[in-house]
Amino acid sequence: MYPSRFRYEAPHTVAEAIRLLAAGGDNAKVLAGGQSLVPLMKLRFAAPELVVDINNLPGLSYHRADPDGTLRIGALCRHADLERSALLAGTQPTMAAAAPLIADPIVRNRGTLVGSLCHADPQGDWASVVLSLGGSVVAEGPDGRRSIPMTDFVTGPFQNLLAPDEIAVEAVIPAAQGERRGGYLKLERRVGDFATVGVAVSLETAGEVVRRAGIALTGVGASTIAASAAAAALTGHSLTAESIAAAASAAAEAARPRTDHRGSAEYKRHMVATFVERILTRCSAEPAERAA
Amino acid sequence: MTDIAMTVNGATRTGSVEARKTLADFLRDDLDLTGTHVGCEHGVCGACTVIVDGRAVRSCLMLAVQAAGSEVTTIEGLAPDGALGTLQQAMWDSHSFQCGFCTPGFVMQASAFLSAHPDADEQQIRAALSGNLCRCTGYQSIIDGVLLAARRSRAGISEGISEG
Amino acid sequence: MAQIAAQRYTGASIRRSEDPRLLTGRGRYVDDIKLPGMLHAAFVRSPLAHARVLSVDVCAARALPGVVAAFTGADLEAMTVPGPDALSTLMGAAGPTPEFTLLATDKVRFAGDPVAVVIAESRYLAEDGCELVEVDYDELPPVASADFALDPGSPPLFANLGDNIARSRSRNEFGDIAATFAGADRVYDFRIDVHRHQNVPMEGRGCVASYDPDLGVLTMHAATQSVHVAKIAVTMRLGMEPDKVRVLAGDIGGSFGLKIGASREELATAAASRALGRPVKWVEDRTENLTASGQAREESFNVRAAVSNDGDLLGLDVTMVIDTGSYPGMGGMVPAIIEAMLPGPYKLAALGFESVGVTTNKAPYVAYRGPWASETFVRERVLDLIAKDLGLDPLEIRLRNAAPRTDPPAVMLTGRPLAGVTTRESLERVAKLADIPAFRRRQAQARAQGRYLGIGVATFIEAAPGPRSPEGASGPMGSESMRLRLDEDGFVVLFTGQMPHGQSHQTTLAQIAADEFGVPFEQVRVVVGDTDVVPFGLTGGSRSATMTGGVTLHGARRLKAKVLDFASHLMEVSAMDLQITDGNVGVRGDPASAVAVSEIARQAASGEFGADVDARLEVEAVFDGGEGGWSGGSHCAVVEVDVETGIVTVERYVAVEDCGVLINPAVVEGQIRGGVAQGIGAVLLERSAYDADGNFQSATFMDYLLPTACDVPRIEIEHLQTVPLDADVNFRGVGEGGMIVAPPTIVNAIEDALSPFGVRIYEQHLPPARILELIATAGSAQPSGSAQPGRSAQPGGR
Repeated sequence: MYPSRFRYEAPHTVAEAIRLLAAGGDNAKVLAGGQSLVPLMKLRFAAPELVVDINNLPGLSYHRADPDGTLRIGALCRHADLERSALLAGTQPTMAAAAPLIADPIVRNRGTLVGSLCHADPQGDWASVVLSLGGSVVAEGPDGRRSIPMTDFVTGPFQNLLAPDEIAVEAVIPAAQGERRGGYLKLERRVGDFATVGVAVSLETAGEVVRRAGIALTGVGASTIAASAAAAALTGHSLTAESIAAAASAAAEAARPRTDHRGSAEYKRHMVATFVERILTRCSAEPAERAA
Repeated sequence: MTDIAMTVNGATRTGSVEARKTLADFLRDDLDLTGTHVGCEHGVCGACTVIVDGRAVRSCLMLAVQAAGSEVTTIEGLAPDGALGTLQQAMWDSHSFQCGFCTPGFVMQASAFLSAHPDADEQQIRAALSGNLCRCTGYQSIIDGVLLAARRSRAGISEGISEG
Repeated sequence: MAQIAAQRYTGASIRRSEDPRLLTGRGRYVDDIKLPGMLHAAFVRSPLAHARVLSVDVCAARALPGVVAAFTGADLEAMTVPGPDALSTLMGAAGPTPEFTLLATDKVRFAGDPVAVVIAESRYLAEDGCELVEVDYDELPPVASADFALDPGSPPLFANLGDNIARSRSRNEFGDIAATFAGADRVYDFRIDVHRHQNVPMEGRGCVASYDPDLGVLTMHAATQSVHVAKIAVTMRLGMEPDKVRVLAGDIGGSFGLKIGASREELATAAASRALGRPVKWVEDRTENLTASGQAREESFNVRAAVSNDGDLLGLDVTMVIDTGSYPGMGGMVPAIIEAMLPGPYKLAALGFESVGVTTNKAPYVAYRGPWASETFVRERVLDLIAKDLGLDPLEIRLRNAAPRTDPPAVMLTGRPLAGVTTRESLERVAKLADIPAFRRRQAQARAQGRYLGIGVATFIEAAPGPRSPEGASGPMGSESMRLRLDEDGFVVLFTGQMPHGQSHQTTLAQIAADEFGVPFEQVRVVVGDTDVVPFGLTGGSRSATMTGGVTLHGARRLKAKVLDFASHLMEVSAMDLQITDGNVGVRGDPASAVAVSEIARQAASGEFGADVDARLEVEAVFDGGEGGWSGGSHCAVVEVDVETGIVTVERYVAVEDCGVLINPAVVEGQIRGGVAQGIGAVLLERSAYDADGNFQSATFMDYLLPTACDVPRIEIEHLQTVPLDADVNFRGVGEGGMIVAPPTIVNAIEDALSPFGVRIYEQHLPPARILELIATAGSAQPSGSAQPGRSAQPGGR
C-alpha cells in the first residue's frame, strides 16, 4: 500500500514554502502531521505531484493566549500538546473536551489542529470546535497574511478556501465576551473511530446570560455544520430547560445526516439533539471557566 | 533519491531513499531492523510504533526523509545488549503476548507512556494503548505486564534484569 | 493410573521460551526475510464483483523500469497444473468442483479477485506497475446474496457447474422428527442469521518463494499453520516432485484458521519464482487481507424447536444456508460439522438437519476459529428465546436440558459420546461466580433509573479433539506423530508438525517433555517449521493439547526407556534401578552415580557398541488421542446498553472452563481471552460488508473495526476440576472455545438488558444503530407462546 511517486520539499521558512506551493500549482499538498494525508496517498485516493513538508518551519509549535485572551495555535501544534495543555484545561472547556477524543493517542503525537482544519474532513472534530468558538484561520501567501473566518474556511468535503499558494499558519480563537462554558461530545462506535456524530457547544456568559453561543456539528453533513439558529436560540437568554430544548431541536434541524452503516439519518439527528442537551445541561450546572 | 542520516538506537545510520519510502520500511529494509512490524500500513494498528524525538509515532505514516536528523528508538534499542528492560521483563513474566506480531508496537508505546506517566492506573493504560491492536490476547495480559512494570519501577527494581 | 514422571513444569505458568526474542524485536516473520536477488510481487485485482475478462494488457507494466516481469492469468496457467483446492482434497471434501484458473483468465468472481501479478525490484515499484496494467472487463450481474444464488436464474459463477450451488442440498434426520414434533406441547419457528466476519490476524498472508534453478528446488518461506499442507498445495499446483519442494516457517503473526494450504496468490508467487529463477516475496497489505484473504460465518438458519411446556427441548429441525463466497474454501465442509455438533451437551430426542451451500460473488469462505461456531450460537439463542416465552430462567432451562454425566456417557444424537462433559458443573459455577440474584437486584434498581443492564449465559462443548470416532483414528487429523531424540549436547529434541502461531507450543511441549524425561525445561528444544525435518502435522482444531501433548508424553517416556536401556549397558546396572532427574542418569538412591544425559548421548554416538546394543537414542511416536474428550464450559457476561446511543459496554465477563488438565494455565487463559475478545468484536464491531453490487465496504481498519483495549473487559476465568478419562493424557484443547461461546453469551446479555422493551434478537451483529432499530421495532413482533394443539409461529429475523 504505497503512494505513487511525488516530489518532496522540506522548506525551512514560510516564504520558501509559499514559493514552492506557488510553483507547484494545483498538484501540491502541504504535509504537516500526515496522519490523514499519508493514508490517503497510500490508498492512492490522493496523488499529489509535490509534497511540501512544513515540519521544519520554525516557531509554529506554539499555542498561547494573548494578553487580551485571544488564543493562537500554530500550524505545528500537535493534538497531544493541546490534550496536555494546562492553558486549555483552565480556559477553553470545549477544546479541552475535544482534544482527548481526536483519533487515538499515537496519532495525537503527530497530527495538528491546523492540519485537521485544512483537511476539512466532515468527520473531523476540530473544525466543529473552532467553528463553535467563532475562530478563524490565518493564511499566509505571496501577498501576506489574511484571516479567514472558520464559517468561510471549509467550502465542502475535504475542500478549504486556501489558494494553492497559501499556507495556514495559525488558528485563532477570539477572546471571550464573558466566561467560557462548553463541551464536546463524540459518538463513536469505538475509540479511534471517526465520529458518527459530534457536537461542539461553546458559550460565553455574563452572569446567567449567554452573551455568545456557538454550536457546530461533526459528521452529519457534507461538511461541518454551524447550527446558527440553535446558537441564536440561546443568545441573550439564560440556560433554562426550555432554551436548552429549543437549542437541541434547532441543532437537530440544522443537521443534514445520511443514512449509512453507522446508522439512520433519524438516529443521527436524535443524537445531535441528545448531545446538545447533555452539554448544555452540564453547562448550566457547572461553574464557568474564566476567560484567560 | 535523497541521502538521509538519523540516529537510530544511539548510532548514526544513513541511507539513500525515495521520498515516498516510509520510515517503517527504511528501518526494516535499509537498516535491517525488522523488529518494527507493519500490520496495516494505514496508521491504525500500531504495530509499527517507534519513538521519534521522544514521541511515539506510527512509522508507517512517516516518510523516512521526515526523520532525517532525528533520534529514533526502535524495539531493538529499548534495552541493548540482549538484556530485557523492566517493561519487557514484566511482560515476559505476565505472559503478555502470543504470536508476537503486535508486540514491538505495544512495547514502544507502553514504554513511552510509562516514562511520562509512571503512576498510571489501569484505565489510563488502556486508553494509552487504545491505538494498538492485538488479535491474540484480549489485552488483559498486556495491561497486566504494563501494570507490573509500573509497580516494579516504583519499587525501585532496576532495568536490565537479564533472562532467567 | 501412571503419573507423569515429575510434576514440576506441567500445570505451572512457566514463562515462555519464545518471549525474550519476541520482546526484543528478534522475531523472524515472513516479511523479515531477505534473500539475495529477491523480487517483490503485487497483484492487480478486480474492482468488480462479477465480470468477464476480455483482455489483460501488461505491456506498459513490463516496460516500467524496475519491473522485472508481469504475468497474466493465462501466463500462469501455462506455468502451473490445474487442480482442486489442496485443503479441500486433504479434508475429503465432497461435492461439485468448480473449474477455475489460478489467476482470473475468463472471469473475475469477487471484488479483489487477482487478475495479474507484477514482479519488481520493490513492492513500491510493483504497485506502480499494477497501476499500468489495463484490464478490459465486461460486467455481469453480481450474485451478492444467498437468496439470489439459490435462484436458478442467477448467473453461474462457474460455467462448469451451471448454477450457484456450492454444496448440494442434503438432509439428515436423527431420532424420530415427525413424532417428536407432533407430540410436543409447543413448536417454535425461528430464523437466525450470523453475519459475515473474518480472521484478521495482525500479520496478513505472505510468503517468500525461492526457486533455485541449478538444483531445481523450490523453497517456500511461509506463514502457515502447517508446512506440510502448504507443501502439498505447492507440489500439486506447480507439478513438482515432493523432494524438490521444501517449506519453511518461522514466527507467524497469528492466523485463526486463515493460513492453511497455499492461497492462489502464494501459488502464483511460487510459479513466478520458478519462472524467473529468483526469490519472490509477496506479503499482502491490510486492504488485500480484508478484501481477498477470505471471510467466514455468513450463515442463516431456519430453526424449528419442539418444546414441552416445562421447557424440555425435545427436538430441533434446522435448515441452513451457508454463503461460501466465490472460490472453494472451507465453506462446503462446515454444514456437516454443524450438524454433528448441534445437539451440544443437551438431551435432544430428535434432530433434523438440512443444508445447502451457495456460491456468491464474495471472497471465499475460510476457516475461522471454530468454523462451526454458529451451531452454539443458534442453540444458545434458541434456549434463551424459549425460556423467555415460557417464563423460565435461562440458567434453569439449560440445567434442565443438559445431559447428565453418566457412565457409560450419554451419546449425542449425532453419534459422539459426551464423555467427561461437565456442563452442569460449569453452569452452576458460572452462575455462582456471577451472583445472578444480586445482579437481578442491581438490574432492577438500574432500570428504575433508566439504565439498562443485562446478564447472559451460554454453554458449549468443543471437540478438542473430542472422543475418538467409533471407526477409530482416521485421516490426517486422527493421529499425531513426533520424533524425539536425545542429542549429544544433552538436549531432548522434539520434531513436531505443529506450527505455533501464538499457541506457545515451544513452551508447553517442553514442559511435558521435561517432566516426563527428566531434564530441566531449558534442556528441551522444540523444532518446527521445516518439511525436510518435521513429521506431518497441522496446528488447528484445538487438537494440539491432546494430540501433541499426548504424543510428547508417550514419546518422551519411550525415549527415556531407550536411554535408560542404553545407559544400563554403559553403567552395568539394571535399567530398573536407574532414573533420570535434572538431566542426569543415576542409580536410585546413589547421587554419586549420576551421569549427565549429554555424556550418555555422546557415548551412544561414539559407535563403540555392537549390534546387540541399541545406541540410537531416538524414537518415532504416534498418538491417536487416547481417551481424549471434550472441552467445554459456560460463560457469563454483564452488559450495559445505552438506549440513547445504542452503545453496548461489556461490564463483566466470567468464564468457567473445563479443558482437562492444564499444561500451562497462563497459555490457556490467553487463548480463552483472545477468543472472547473476537466474540466481542463479532457482536459489537466487526462485519465484512458487501453492498448490493458486491462492492466490498470493509477494506480498511477504519471500516472493519477490531476491539481495542478499551472494548474488552477483564475476563475472569475459573478452571473446573476435570473428569480424567485417560490414564495419562487428559490435556484438552481450548483454542476455539472462547470465540464459539462468547457471541451467544453477549447477545443473550444484550437481549436481557433490552427485555423491558420486548426486544428479541435473531442475529449476531449488533452495532449501535442496530440496537436502536431493535428497540424501535420491538413490540411489533410479539412472541406467541400459546399452548398446543397446533403450532405457535414465531416471526423471526428482521
